Formats: sequence, C-alpha cells, structure tokens
Amino acid sequence: MLQLFLIAFRNLGTHRRRTLLLGGAIASVTALLVILMGLSTGMKESMLRSATTLSTGHVNVAGFYKVTAGQAAPVVTGYPAILEQIRKDVPELDFAVQRGRGWLKVVSETSSIQVGVGGIDIQSEPGLRQVLQIRAGALDGLAEPGTVLLFEKQAKKLNVQVGESVTLAAQTLRGASNTVDARVVAIAADMGMLSDFGIFVPSETLRSLYQFKSDTAGALLLYLKDIQHVPVVQARLRQTLTDAGHTVMDHDPRAFFMKFETVNREAWTGQRLDITNWEDEISFITWTLTALNSLTGVLIFVLMVIIGVGIMNTLWIAIRERTREIGTLRAIGMQRTRVLLMFVFEALLLGLLGTLAGASAGLVLCLAVNAMAVHVPEVVAVFIMSDTLNLAVHPSSIVGAMAFITACTTAISLIPSFLAARLKPVTAMHHIG
Amino acid sequence: MNPTASQSSIVSITNVTKDYTLGKVVVPALRGVDLEVHAGEFISIAGPSGSGKTTLLNLIGCVDTATGGVVRVAGQDTKQLTERQLTNLRLNTIGFIFQSFNLVQVLSVFQNVEFPLLLQRKLDKAQRRERVMQLLEQVGLANHAKHRPNELSGGQRQRVAVARALVTRPQLVLADEPTANLDSVTGQNIIDLMKELNQKEGTTFIFSTHDAKVMSHANAVVRLADGKFLDRISAAEASRAMAAGDH
Ligand SMILES: Nc1ncnc2c1ncn2[C@@H]1O[C@H](COP(=O)(O)OP(=O)(O)OP(=O)(O)O)[C@@H](O)[C@H]1O
Ligand SMILES: [Mg+2]
Repeated sequence: MLQLFLIAFRNLGTHRRRTLLLGGAIASVTALLVILMGLSTGMKESMLRSATTLSTGHVNVAGFYKVTAGQAAPVVTGYPAILEQIRKDVPELDFAVQRGRGWLKVVSETSSIQVGVGGIDIQSEPGLRQVLQIRAGALDGLAEPGTVLLFEKQAKKLNVQVGESVTLAAQTLRGASNTVDARVVAIAADMGMLSDFGIFVPSETLRSLYQFKSDTAGALLLYLKDIQHVPVVQARLRQTLTDAGHTVMDHDPRAFFMKFETVNREAWTGQRLDITNWEDEISFITWTLTALNSLTGVLIFVLMVIIGVGIMNTLWIAIRERTREIGTLRAIGMQRTRVLLMFVFEALLLGLLGTLAGASAGLVLCLAVNAMAVHVPEVVAVFIMSDTLNLAVHPSSIVGAMAFITACTTAISLIPSFLAARLKPVTAMHHIG
Repeated sequence: MNPTASQSSIVSITNVTKDYTLGKVVVPALRGVDLEVHAGEFISIAGPSGSGKTTLLNLIGCVDTATGGVVRVAGQDTKQLTERQLTNLRLNTIGFIFQSFNLVQVLSVFQNVEFPLLLQRKLDKAQRRERVMQLLEQVGLANHAKHRPNELSGGQRQRVAVARALVTRPQLVLADEPTANLDSVTGQNIIDLMKELNQKEGTTFIFSTHDAKVMSHANAVVRLADGKFLDRISAAEASRAMAAGDH
C-alpha cells in the first residue's frame, strides 16, 4: 500500500510539468469555486444581515386589519398579549421587537419622497445599532417622539440636514389624511434597496400619524438564537396562535407590502395574523441570489467539464506511457485492482494537492477582498444591501469544494486506469509508447 | 492430452497453439507444441528468430493465453484459472526475467527487487530487507541499492531484473534471452547465478537464447522451428548442431 503511494508520489514528481499543469488546472477551478461560493454566500449573508434588521426578523408575526373589506392596514392589534404568548411558546427566541409599518410621504421645503416607514422603540432594537452606520446625528435621538431617521440618499433628495424638520403625511385607517412634523435626528449610510424605500420614526410618532391605539404594532419581529430553527418556530407559532383564537392567514411567501392587493380582494374584515420569515420578506430581492447561484453553477459545471476532459486526456497519455510498466507489474503478480489503486492514488494525490493549493489561494483572495473593503457599484449595492463586497469564508464549504473536486478528479481517472489494468500483461508489456 | 505425466512436471504443455491476429491476418506463432519440464531442470529453448520462443515462454509464464491446447503450470491447467488466480500463480510460483528489463523507473533498485515481496505480504520488513540485500549481494549490486534504474548500465539493470525474478524464491523461473542485451562477461555472470540457484535451491529454469555458450549450461535444449517442437537434445548435441550451422 505504502509502495503504491510512493510510486504515485514519485510519478507525480517525475513528470513535473504535467503535474504542475494538471495541478494548476485543478487549483484554479477550486479557487474559482471557493471565490464564487464566497461571493454568493457573502451576498446572501449581507442581505440577511441588512434585511433582518431593517425590515424583517428571522420570523415575523404580522398581519392585516380591515375595517372594510377593501381597506387593509398592515397592523397587529393587541400586540402585547401576542408578544407575551410568543415569549412563552418560543424558547429559541433571542429577542423580539415590535415595529410599526406604514407607507407615507416625506415632505421637505424643496422636495418630497414616498417611502415605507418603520416605527421603532430605539431602546429595544439591539440589531439596528449594529447595522446602521450613522453618518450624522445620533440614533438615540429617536427616543424622543416627533423625530425621524433618514438615509443619506433620501436626505440629499429632500435637501435636509440633521436638526431640520420634515412633514410626514399619510392616510389613516378610516381614510382621513393626517400629518405630523418630525425633526431629522440621524442620517444613516445607504444600505441598498431596503434603505432606499424606508425611514425610521419612533413608534409613538407612527401611531399618532395613523391614529393607532398604543397596543397596535405593524409586526412583531422575532430574532432567534439560531437561524436554523426558523421553519420549526414558524410552524409552531402558526399552531399555537391559531389555538389561542387568532385567525392566521395561509402562508404566502411574499413581502408584506406585496400582499395588499390579495388581502383587499378578500371579503373578511377585522384582524388576521400573518406569519412569515425573513426569506419571504426579502423574496422580491432574492431572485438575484438565485440568478447568481445558477450562474455560478453553470460556470463551475462548464469548467469542470473542460478540466475533466483535460485531466482525462492527460491521465490517458500518462497511463499509455506507462502501459509497459503496468504490464510488467501485472506480469510479476500485481492484481488488477492494485494497478487501478495505484493510478487512483495518483489522481487522489494530485487532486488533494491541487485543491489544497487552489483553496488556499481562493481563501487568501477572499480575505484580501474583505480586508480591502472593496466598494461595489451602486446597482450591486442595491441588491446586496451593503456597499462593500463581503466574501463569506466558511471552512465547511471550502473543505466541501475540495472534497468535491478531488472526488471528480479521482472518478475521472478511473476510466483510463481501468482500461490499462484490464489489458493482458503481455499486450501491455509490448505496448510501444 | 496427457494429464498424468505432470506429476513431477512443473510445466506440461500439450498440443498448444497460438495465433496472433493482425487485423484480418492470422499469424500462427505456435502450431501444436508439446513439452514437459520437470522440477529442477535447467532448460534452454532454442530456435531461429520467429520460431515462437517468446510466445511459448509467455504462455508458460501466464502472461498470455494459448489459442488451443493445454498449458499446465505447477499442476494447474491455466485455462481453468481466473485472472486473479493466474496473477497469484505469477506472483508466487513463477519468476519472469524479461528481455528488456522492465523495471519501475521511479523506484530504487532495492524497491524494485522488494516489490514482489510487498505484493506477497508474507515477510515482514526486516525479513524483506535481508532477502533483498542478499540477492543484490549475489548479483553484485549491493552498493547500488539506492540507485534508480536509469542510473545503471544495461547489464546492471538486467541483474536487478534477475534479482526481482528470484526474490520470491519461485519454483519456476522463465527468462527470455536474459543475456541478449549484455556483454559476454555480464551474461556469463547471470548464467552462473542462475545455475547456482538451480543447483542449490532446485529452482527450475527455462530460458530462451541464441547464444551457444549460454546454451551449453543447459540440461537439455528444446529446439523450436516455425512454431513447432523440433527436438529435445543435450547441450553438447546442440552446440555441435550449432557449430554445424544447423540452426
Ligand atoms: N504481438 C504479436 N502480434 C503478431 N504477431 C506476433 C506477435 N508476437 C509474435 N508474433 C509472431 O509470432 C511468431 C513467433 O514470435 P516470437 O516472438 O515468439 O518468436 P521468437 O522465437 O521469440 O523470435 P526471436 O528470437 O526473434 O525473439 C513470429 O512470426 C512473430 O512475427
Ligand atoms: Mg523472442
């Protein structure tokens, strides 16, 4: 066994050019795979991080309230009782916050914008603090009612600074127009699509604008200790909240603001709850991930095929060159399986060395890109909800990539090895080449 | 068809034919050869070029299969054996010295000679070492154990090949023109080594050669002509025949 390894190892050493070429090809594919996976996962993580603080929890208990059948408001009435029940039912919970939801017009002296609004209790929003990069003012200003946080682009459009006031205008549940004045207390760095269409105000301000009661929230955002538990928690809440007498809507994997049309078309009135997860709430944006993943998949596949053919061809030549040797070894009593093993070892060794080199290179590149905090073009930033490129480096996926490519290399080598091992010893020995 | 005669025969060949097919042309290399070789014999196979010496040795060595007839080696009909069993027969019973050495280039002299022992898995490391070094001593290559084959001369390589063929102490050693690529002195050394083993250990040797001097060491010379068994004569008769130009 050891000898087979030795032969394999020395053969790689003897044919240095071929080894370098093949190993280099394998390394390149591995590096590419690691980088592309890093990019895809990194984007997903960026999205997740931004989205789960700006607009969604891991799991959301939200809902719609309708006074008349065609006029839905995105609210949960009597939320403190529901929150209490959730705390009891979900031991996986890290923390939960309530948010107000709305759609309003921000009017400054020179301009106006239509945006979604989040009503927050800034003291109980640990996530926002980590994600929002405040460019001017202070987040804690939102502790006072009658204040607002804008994002840079919005502030620019409205031409307002911290300390200046804007007017927020919206329609109440009963159809009346209402306005409140709000002082800009903080301007945060843009965070892509979600920040383009969102602002934050204190819950109190939102409630007074819409004339909601104090036990009304837009959504309860639940953050779990481990995101893996999302499906379980979602299913459980659906059950327990139904058992507690609430009407829970069928699961609809779309963001809440895309559901108005459907909800308004339905005949019911009163309160219904809607339980969603973070993926649902950012589904309108995750198609970019799917596209990227498909692209990555196709790219890797094509490369693997090309490299695969290359490897097979090169191994073919290598094995043909050594047919005489194979014949000799068979003639002195080496079993076919061992011959096969010898070549498989060679491919395995080549694969391991190649992928190790490639993974290291890919890893270094990923880390370098992260360290340099490369700024992405705005179109991309909109999608990944982050203005810097973040490549995820997870040991498990890197090892997975290595294992996958090594396995492919080895599998490919089986074909010529098998053919060579099958030859009659004498035929192999008299082989010229 | 004479299966009983094989009791003390290590090789028993009955009416063996071998055809090679080259495209559509069938080349008969052996046309019904009979041969008995008893354990402990030192047999030379002679015959003009193309008479089928190599073909015959390949059949006995189980590296090729006969078209017709029966080849029995160490009492076993090789046609009845599976590929795995044939491989084991080659490993444990037969030693093959090839005309063109056929060493593994990436292994050292020591490792080349040790290789069959590793395949056998019978001896531990120390025993293997002792066995290999003893043989390298015998072929005069003890000082070259760590060299690679491409650092050796042709004669030295052939001696490595001899050592490799003998290292498992096979009952039967086949050698296809073992001295053809060697100068006469080295050739003589190889023959002496073979002879010594034959006498000391009772190893059976069957070798082909064109060289009268080499032939003269044989117990008997089996002559082939045109793929057929011609006769079995003594070494003395053979050298007389060769001297007379009767190939
Ligand atoms: N692989 C092969 N394919 C086709 N014909 C072959 C093959 N090997 C040998 N032959 C033919 O079989 C016949 C016997 O060949 P063989 O090699 O056994 O002769 P030989 O006695 O060993 O000759 P030499 O003394 O030249 O080595 C020859 O006619 C040869 O052309
Ligand atoms: Mg020959």
